[in-house]
Amino acid sequence: MSQSGMNKAKITKFINNRLHFIPLAILAVWTIFPLLWAFSSSFKKPAEVYQTPPQLIPTDFNFANYMKVFEYDGFLRFLLNSIFLSVTTTVLAVIISILAGYGFARYAFRMRHILLMLILVPRIIPRASLIVPLFTGISALKLLDTYTALIITYVATAIPLGTWILAGFFKVIPKALEEAAQIDGAKPWQMIWYVVIPISLPAILTVSIFSLREAWNEFPFVLAFTTSSEMRTLPYQLFMLQESLGMQDWPMMLAFTLVTITPLLILYLIFEKRVVNGVTSGAVK
Amino acid sequence: MSVNQQVTAGPSTKSSTFRKKSVPYLLIFPAVLFVAGVLAYAVISGILLSFFQYDLNTIGRPFVWFQNYIYLFTNSAFLNSLMRSIIFVALSVIIGLILGLAFAISLYRTTKYGDFFKGLSLIPYLVSGVATAVMFRFMFASDVGLINMILDTFGLEQVLFLADPNWALFVTVLANVWGIVPFTVLILLSGIQAIDSELFEAAIVDGASKLNLLFKILLPLISPMMGIALIWLSFASFNMFDVILPLTGGGPLRATEYLAVYMYNVAFTEFQYSLGSTVMVVILFFNVTLSVIYLKIFKSAE
Repeated sequence: MSQSGMNKAKITKFINNRLHFIPLAILAVWTIFPLLWAFSSSFKKPAEVYQTPPQLIPTDFNFANYMKVFEYDGFLRFLLNSIFLSVTTTVLAVIISILAGYGFARYAFRMRHILLMLILVPRIIPRASLIVPLFTGISALKLLDTYTALIITYVATAIPLGTWILAGFFKVIPKALEEAAQIDGAKPWQMIWYVVIPISLPAILTVSIFSLREAWNEFPFVLAFTTSSEMRTLPYQLFMLQESLGMQDWPMMLAFTLVTITPLLILYLIFEKRVVNGVTSGAVK
Repeated sequence: MSVNQQVTAGPSTKSSTFRKKSVPYLLIFPAVLFVAGVLAYAVISGILLSFFQYDLNTIGRPFVWFQNYIYLFTNSAFLNSLMRSIIFVALSVIIGLILGLAFAISLYRTTKYGDFFKGLSLIPYLVSGVATAVMFRFMFASDVGLINMILDTFGLEQVLFLADPNWALFVTVLANVWGIVPFTVLILLSGIQAIDSELFEAAIVDGASKLNLLFKILLPLISPMMGIALIWLSFASFNMFDVILPLTGGGPLRATEYLAVYMYNVAFTEFQYSLGSTVMVVILFFNVTLSVIYLKIFKSAE
């Protein structure tokens, strides 16, 4: 190989090694920038966001916007609503999905396939599309503006994915332990509680995180099925903030936005691997 | 809770086999109850409702056959919504697929910090639609918007992004893509990782160019995953509601009133419930069609 050929090869090799950093840099900026910009602006004074040229780092970090959020009329209520709905939904959806997943994974019974379809097919139904008939049904039951209506609908939308993930997991765990328990005379619920759940904690955790995320971020149902301000969740209130503030207090709104995002971000930092794997398997399976 | 180990003395075999047989049904009963009671109920009652006239101006619920469908498909607002939805989905899919592919390839190629960037790329998946909408509104606003400030700094004219029908559509596409690209990246990445890396090495030894590597080896090999990503992107975009309502409310001049938003407006600002249900049926029809294609692609991928 000639000298110039060597150089050329070296140069292409160098470019090859560096080139993928360009999309990677774009990836990082594209992903993080909207959040970073909102984060930075959430510390600015209301007038400071109008200032040109824009500053990525605020002149002085003031936490007044976050104080405004926490002191906002009803904020605690919205926060508690969000926490209550997410946790209740998750607990119920996980319990129901464990039972159903176990039933489908371990038993052969009549109409199994039809029932499995009945539970899994609704995964393809987008929740927003259902709000009209659900609204008329809920109002006929006089359940508009209640936690009951929200919890029932939230749980129902969380069950298909939960059952899917858990049934898949239960199917691949060895039957030997359960068979031993069965010989000892354990009833099905004892088997689930003492044998299946302890070894399935990773899958249960994955299902819980997905259910928590879904309920925490939920918007169309709470928008359509509630009317009083006491029933609002954080995303709903964030939506209302946009509508109600005439002269928009952007820094306060951005602080509010970040407050709604932070709990999930923390959860994600702790369970990143599980979320990534769960998303991949949920998408591909 | 103590384990009750007492064996009931001599249970009749008939009742015990019945009890055994009923176990799986008891296990799945709560799930069936919730899913059928809420989701199946909603679908069936929505389909039924679409054949009646049910709104605030009508007494009772007269049966009207296909009148709601005829009304919809001759109504300019609905046809506009359908048209805008298709444009929105097409742009979201194209931009989403290109970005997703570029990110997936670069994630595959990094050895250093690969996990870090992979973790980073998934963050938008956690952010609610409403929060995404607020952040994008803030960036594209006319007075405080960063994009306009940048245009200003370069001496360019300001653009009223959210007041101009076409720019507003573009902003909704960007916000939507921001939220749905992470999933696409993971789907495509899993496709690329499944390829035998020796194929690349052999091609490189044979002197294949980068473009050849991309178009002759990578893309054909991950085409099933591309199909899944494509269907998923169109699925998510077609049903997008959470980002759009807070970002534009369907405006300006109904330019971003995609089907789900149109349905919401018809039902909850005009109180035409049966018409809203009819839009739901149309939305579900598109979803079923997309899912059938999805399953076909997935089957052939297996």
